[in-house]
Amino acid sequence: MNPYQTYDAKILEIRELTPREKLFTLRFVDSEANKEFKYKPGQFVIVDIRGFGEFPISLCSTPTREGYIQLCVRRVGRMTKYMHTLKEGDVIGIRGPYGNGFPMEKMEGSELILVSGGLGMAPLRSVLWYAIDSGKYEHIYLLYGTKSYEDILFRDEIIHLLKHGDAIGCTVKLAYEVESPSCIYLERGFSPKVCKGVVTDLFRGMEFDVENTYALICGPPVMYKYVIKELLDRKLSPGRIYMTLERRMRCGIGKCGHCIVGTSTSIKYICKDGPVFTYWEALSTRGLI
Amino acid sequence: MIILRYVKLPSENFEEFFNSLKQWGEINAPVKQGNIYSFKKVDSLKEVSLDYTRTMLPPKKFFVKPRDELLKLKEGKWEESNGTKPVVLFGVHSCDIHGLQILDKVYLDEPVDIYYKKRRENSIIIGISCMPDEYCFCKSLGTDFAMTGFDLFLHELPDGYLVRVGSVKGHEIVWANEGVFEPISEEDLKYFREFEEKRANSFKRSLNKEGLADMLDLAFESPVWKKYEKICLGCGNCNMVCPTCRCYEVCDLWVNAYEGVRVRRYDSCFMESHGLVAGGHNFRPTRLDRFRHRYYCKSYFDPSAGFNCVGCGRCDEFCPAKIEHVKVLDEVREALK
Ligand SMILES: Cc1cc2nc3c(=O)[nH]c(=O)nc-3n(C[C@H](O)[C@H](O)[C@H](O)COP(=O)(O)OP(=O)(O)OC[C@H]3O[C@@H](n4cnc5c(N)ncnc54)[C@H](O)[C@@H]3O)c2cc1C
Ligand code: SF4
Ligand code: SF4
Ligand code: FES
Repeated sequence: MNPYQTYDAKILEIRELTPREKLFTLRFVDSEANKEFKYKPGQFVIVDIRGFGEFPISLCSTPTREGYIQLCVRRVGRMTKYMHTLKEGDVIGIRGPYGNGFPMEKMEGSELILVSGGLGMAPLRSVLWYAIDSGKYEHIYLLYGTKSYEDILFRDEIIHLLKHGDAIGCTVKLAYEVESPSCIYLERGFSPKVCKGVVTDLFRGMEFDVENTYALICGPPVMYKYVIKELLDRKLSPGRIYMTLERRMRCGIGKCGHCIVGTSTSIKYICKDGPVFTYWEALSTRGLI
Repeated sequence: MIILRYVKLPSENFEEFFNSLKQWGEINAPVKQGNIYSFKKVDSLKEVSLDYTRTMLPPKKFFVKPRDELLKLKEGKWEESNGTKPVVLFGVHSCDIHGLQILDKVYLDEPVDIYYKKRRENSIIIGISCMPDEYCFCKSLGTDFAMTGFDLFLHELPDGYLVRVGSVKGHEIVWANEGVFEPISEEDLKYFREFEEKRANSFKRSLNKEGLADMLDLAFESPVWKKYEKICLGCGNCNMVCPTCRCYEVCDLWVNAYEGVRVRRYDSCFMESHGLVAGGHNFRPTRLDRFRHRYYCKSYFDPSAGFNCVGCGRCDEFCPAKIEHVKVLDEVREALK
């Protein structure tokens, strides 16, 4: 088996989530490939636009819903721009899934605090729906920081969970930075769950059982430091804080060397040792965050 | 039929042995080109420079090519590029054999890189003994002697070579050439030991690897990195020539309007783009970050493969800024005291 070969996947649906982000729903053309493709929340795939190049994208769908996979792609550069021009029915290449993913089994029975900023919502959406669907987790908190109303990813799902989440064991909290009528409307309707501010403001007044809680963080590099401080202030152990990290990646399978981090005592590959790491691992690996 | 771990190849049979290797594959051996040596295809023993110290590019170029076509695009689907032909690498030094074993760790680890694997399986490695020059420091890293990783290893004797057989393929080569080999004598062993002793005493450079990994981790903020940041040109030569550097970049190219290829090429962690991601964030934005990163990567000790540096001295010889690997690490250690 050639690990660089990619498998045909057909675009079933494209949804524009924001002006910059599109959600692609895909299914492998080969039914065997569909059956064989088993993944965990937090894993990623390499998308192959044949003849143009490849790039890594997190799986944002949940393995509890079979028959399709979903990728949320932000238009930032050459390849992602091209991806945004594709139409429903087009076929692209996919290889993976890669990476370790979140230890979902280990966390069963616990409370999960998902902290997401911006595009970090993509991998955490996989965790969110996995946790809700499986019903194996005590309670799920989603703390989501967004720039503006227009930037909220999976807006319909977020609003749905603001309304009805508590009944299915999921509390969503939303912080926005740019004021707009829509945001004020949300804030009025769902106070105190929605507020103006940044994601760390959502920790205000939050207490949790540190023996029975895991935190899962994904967002832009600057976010980690502040979020981790909030968690450590509440005495959550560094071993219970998980985060998913991003690096330039070429192969996704530990060959191309681009995602190597750490020093002489701690060399790690983000693609195969990660992209999910505990804060403890980050403390013992320089350059991880 | 001789089944021995050690045999002797007398000088007068050397050429015959060399020519017989052609049946196993295309012979590539060190050839002098101007001031440098290079592994190249050779037809006769005359072309080979067996007294070389190091080639510019290590033998990794046969397994991870500087430009390597992985896939061919035909009607919207990738087809595997093939074209692996058997090669005999003649005259490989022990540091480079160790270097290949480090690459094996990376490329043969799951998921296996099938290109690398095929080429490795289609190659015969004939090692040869050497004398160190002012750049070599393999002895201090334990890579000055290869116990595995070759098919045959030739050790120079006054009247031929003591040959160590290192694999089944190596045995097959010996069997196929039974006539050219002889059993070794006590005297040959004496010469072998003398040569090794003389060689061991000829090293001028050594890397102090005592607590190296921990020492470097502590020295993250060392002023020495900052000093070298200004001297280093960021050219990436040291990566290109290193037998264990293997970063690669991938790029799709169009051959014509219908056919494309996916090609990988050596990359270097000294390039600014190495840690750059979309949106302009760079995880190693300064030359300081990149310089230090290389030393960290090279000084990493993998419990199953050893250090990521085999002490071949290439990065020193081919650095235009005359930066010396061992000296940098010694200075970092010194500054920590
Ligand atoms: C594990 C992982 C998960 C990701 N998940 C998502 C996701 O769910 N949604 C999303 O929109 N983006 C995600 N990204 C980022 C995404 O891979 C980049 O945005 C994308 O590669 C940019 O390619 P480009 O050609 O459009 O950008 P350009 O800036 O033109 O990039 C040129 C090349 O650099 C490389 N590159 C640039 N940025 C990155 C990057 N951040 N990571 C890796 N390689 C990069 C790519 O190979 C790309 O081809 C993820 C990255 C990683 C590493
Ligand atoms: S070869 Fe020398 S100058 Fe060039 S990048 Fe390496 S250390 Fe710097
Ligand atoms: S770091 Fe330098 S001395 Fe060490 S293996 Fe690489 S090129 Fe040789
Ligand atoms: S992405 Fe290539 S080594 Fe990790």
